[in-house]
Amino acid sequence: MIVSLNWLCEYLDGAAHAALAKRHDELVDRLTMSGLNHEGTEPVGDDQAIDLEVTSNRADCLGHIGVAREVSVLLDIPLSVPDPQPVTGTEAIDKLCNVEINSDKCFRYTARLVKGVKIGPSPDWMVNRLAALGIESINNVVDITNYVMFECGQPLHAYDFAKLDGGKIIVRNANEKEEFLAIDHKTYPLDPAMCMIADAKNAVAIGGVMGGADSEISDATTDVLVEAAYFDQLSVRKTARQLNLHSPSAFRFERDVDSAQLDWASRRCCELILELAGGTLCEGMLDVGQPPAKLPDVTLRFAQLKRVLGIEIPADVATEILSNLGLSIISSDKESVTATAPSWRKDLTREVDLVEEVGRIYGFDKVPDDALVPMAASMRPKTDRVVDKIRNVMTSAGFDEAMTATMVPEKWATAFSPWTDQQPIISSQPMLGVLEKASRNIGAVSMLRRSLVPSLIEARRINEFRGNDDINLFETAKVYLHNPKSHLPDQPTKLAIVSGMDFFAIKGIVETIVAQLSPKSKVVAEPCSDPLFDPSQSANLSVDGKRLGLVGKVSASAQSDFRLRSPATVAEIDIAVLESLAVLIPIHENQSQFQPMSRDFNFIVENEIHWSDLENTILENGGQLIESIDYRETFRDPKKDGENKKRLLLSIVLRSATATLTGEEAEVVCKKIIGACEKSHGAVLLG
Amino acid sequence: MSPAAAMSLEQFTNELNELVKAANASFAAASNAEELDAARVEFLGAKNGRIKTVQKSLGSISKEDKPAAGKALNATKKSITDGFEAAKERLGGDETADQVDPTFDPTLPGTKVSVGRLHPITQTINELKDIMGRLGFTTAEGPEVEDDYHNFQALNIPRSHPARDPLDNFYLSVAQSQAQHVSLSDDNPLLLRTQTSTVQIRVMENRKPPIRIVSLGRVYRPDTADWSHYPMFHQMEGLMIDENVTLADLKTVLKLFATSYLGGDVPIRIRPSFFPFTEPSVEADYFWDGKWVEFGGAGIVDPNVLSAVGYDPEKVSGFAFGLGVERLCMIRHQITDIRYLFTNDVRFLRQF
Repeated sequence: MIVSLNWLCEYLDGAAHAALAKRHDELVDRLTMSGLNHEGTEPVGDDQAIDLEVTSNRADCLGHIGVAREVSVLLDIPLSVPDPQPVTGTEAIDKLCNVEINSDKCFRYTARLVKGVKIGPSPDWMVNRLAALGIESINNVVDITNYVMFECGQPLHAYDFAKLDGGKIIVRNANEKEEFLAIDHKTYPLDPAMCMIADAKNAVAIGGVMGGADSEISDATTDVLVEAAYFDQLSVRKTARQLNLHSPSAFRFERDVDSAQLDWASRRCCELILELAGGTLCEGMLDVGQPPAKLPDVTLRFAQLKRVLGIEIPADVATEILSNLGLSIISSDKESVTATAPSWRKDLTREVDLVEEVGRIYGFDKVPDDALVPMAASMRPKTDRVVDKIRNVMTSAGFDEAMTATMVPEKWATAFSPWTDQQPIISSQPMLGVLEKASRNIGAVSMLRRSLVPSLIEARRINEFRGNDDINLFETAKVYLHNPKSHLPDQPTKLAIVSGMDFFAIKGIVETIVAQLSPKSKVVAEPCSDPLFDPSQSANLSVDGKRLGLVGKVSASAQSDFRLRSPATVAEIDIAVLESLAVLIPIHENQSQFQPMSRDFNFIVENEIHWSDLENTILENGGQLIESIDYRETFRDPKKDGENKKRLLLSIVLRSATATLTGEEAEVVCKKIIGACEKSHGAVLLG
Repeated sequence: MSPAAAMSLEQFTNELNELVKAANASFAAASNAEELDAARVEFLGAKNGRIKTVQKSLGSISKEDKPAAGKALNATKKSITDGFEAAKERLGGDETADQVDPTFDPTLPGTKVSVGRLHPITQTINELKDIMGRLGFTTAEGPEVEDDYHNFQALNIPRSHPARDPLDNFYLSVAQSQAQHVSLSDDNPLLLRTQTSTVQIRVMENRKPPIRIVSLGRVYRPDTADWSHYPMFHQMEGLMIDENVTLADLKTVLKLFATSYLGGDVPIRIRPSFFPFTEPSVEADYFWDGKWVEFGGAGIVDPNVLSAVGYDPEKVSGFAFGLGVERLCMIRHQITDIRYLFTNDVRFLRQF
């Protein structure tokens, strides 16, 4: 809301402009500290345009009088609001015009009629005041309706009465497929949720939003019907938004107007028309609809001031503040005061509302910032600790943390869904402007992702395109999985990794994370057939019998689909599983004081025998002396060993907790291992 | 090979002891690296060192004494070697080190260690959690896909409130049920949460006061992305509920927070504002670089919100505050376009 300082002074008795201009800084500071945040002041001619932010609960401050009321209370300057008493002629309005409301979106409609006006330019003072607010002058009558709106906050509309068929105003909902030629000479499609003002035949205005071209005030207009009405805020907002017609009028109706001041606004408007455009005001006002609702009596217990604000405010001070703000004091005693808010303060209906009023005028600057807040213990949740450890491993491994959007285009949403067969969740609105230029043709970003991987692949693509090196990215974020059995979808947090490193490098990182969180857990890998992956470079991972996630090299076709230049490996891991097995407080175990003994093995086995087969057999048969089993390498020599054979080279470390191992003891273990590997897997020991 | 004269274990160990004494004496007498090296060759020399000579007589020890003799020999070797090392240290190391290797270039870069960076938003969030943790606020989490009840109703946001406009929210449905597309007329439609205040409700529904929580996470509003907007961003929400919590407690906590975050005693102020879920509602500003900077909205939890979760507003009270994480992060690091945060150019990420 832009306020003209000149204009504001008109309502502040005794405050000459020069005097208040000197107090500009104090004025805007007090306004800011009482709820009308000062956003800036611009000089306009000999005036100053003060921009104030008005919160949605304070529609009363969308007019100069409302702001003046605040200033009056804050700076203790008497308020002086005009009392318009336009002279009326003898002709009665109800003989010439009639109003009916056939819509639930208009609560009250009033009309006055001025005959014989002369349309012309507005006087300079009015042009200047409107200009200070950034409003262009149109003609005297239209300017007056705007002027009164910016004065009191009530939007008004003036019709060329000669154009109103049958002298009738019918407030009704728009018809199906109705169209309307508005004052901007554009045609708008309507629907029955919109409230229209019509004459006997056609719509003449979109209620509260915009007038029509047919009945607009023109130089030829002589009789003016002045509308002051109260439209449903929701309906006006929806209509304005749907038609993209945002006007100062709609802005005020959207925030709810004071229906008790319709008559005042109408009189004020007519008074100015008579003064600036001449003519004769018809006798009476047409007034249809509901009278303004009575606001409730509210009791403020003075003790509540301290309980909410934390400061003592004397009872008489509190009562005076309420009274100054225009509340009617019904009764008061030592303990409490009962008051009723003025019609323009419909937001004051509860005790706590009055607490806030007293507090904000008394001054929140008087609330101390060194209260004795009791100490309290806080705990770091397990999830946070686990995610921190995961992030530590990732950054230590050289990965940068990415953050990508929750919503993705359909193509990405369907490209990879390792966690659910349920369809993706769709949003009513797309996310706009979140895709890089090169990806904008992929489609609307309107699906909640079921995996982080496609978004990270896109991040990799962008980095490749920009010529960046070492593009190793990870992200921890939620995925959104529809669950037909529950009201809310499942929203587990996942870790996703995308890198140019190979399958085993990424698998190694996942294993490292598991080892960091739970040293005794073992990651089990099994074949994976997800179409995103190269089938011979991918695996499903589980740990302690729980599904951990998957890791795989992006298949050649997916690589080309995602327009990646170079091969990439991705992984996605369920953080809930990591959390379930995380050992956050490791327990000490005594370390053996005795020397270890290392033995190397070189087994020839069939290709089908997996490393994990041998490893498990060795573990099962090696007994307690086995400290570790380390894979060395795989080697193939078909000429020597035959087709379909490979050599698996490995080392084991043996150590006893109680004594130095002898060669004989080690030999026993080795023999047992060799025997078991031969028996279970046909492994032949070489050398 | 003629059998050598048998040597007893005792003779052998005596010989070893003599050797240690002699070696230590020579090492101690050496006054420079050359002399020390000569002593080393004399005793430890690989071909004709005196220890080698003694070792040869090991063959003449009787079989049963051999293990013990071997052990003694090893101990002697170690003792002499240690003596040499100690003497070398005393003389100030290897003089050959003083000779400069002409091929050595100390200006070559060290071996690169590749360490990744946490996202600047994560770093900001971690700091906020830390600060709030020290003030006694425990982190709480809530779902990002929320229902109308938790995102609006329970937060005292009436049906008529502009915040509920379908155009201002990401309302959700599932692909396979297009026919039952979620609309506002449904009882409790789902949407991506527009604020972290929803977590307040979820926590209070499940716990009794006292409560001191902080919640950080993603929130969503359908703004078109530009330099200052993104349809997804992060908020921090704090909530404290107890028997006597007032606006003064709120102002105090905000002051402590600002002081911790900015690393110095900064003036703060609160001024009236409007949020449906707090009454009074305030905006909090801190004074920094000669001007007041907004850092978030706050207020005393509205009695309607307390009632909605089954608390008695006559018995308990509390405050809530919320702030935008991107804003704090961008001001701190002078990031000029919010979209940089979500493009994930590694050159951007590696700055932090």
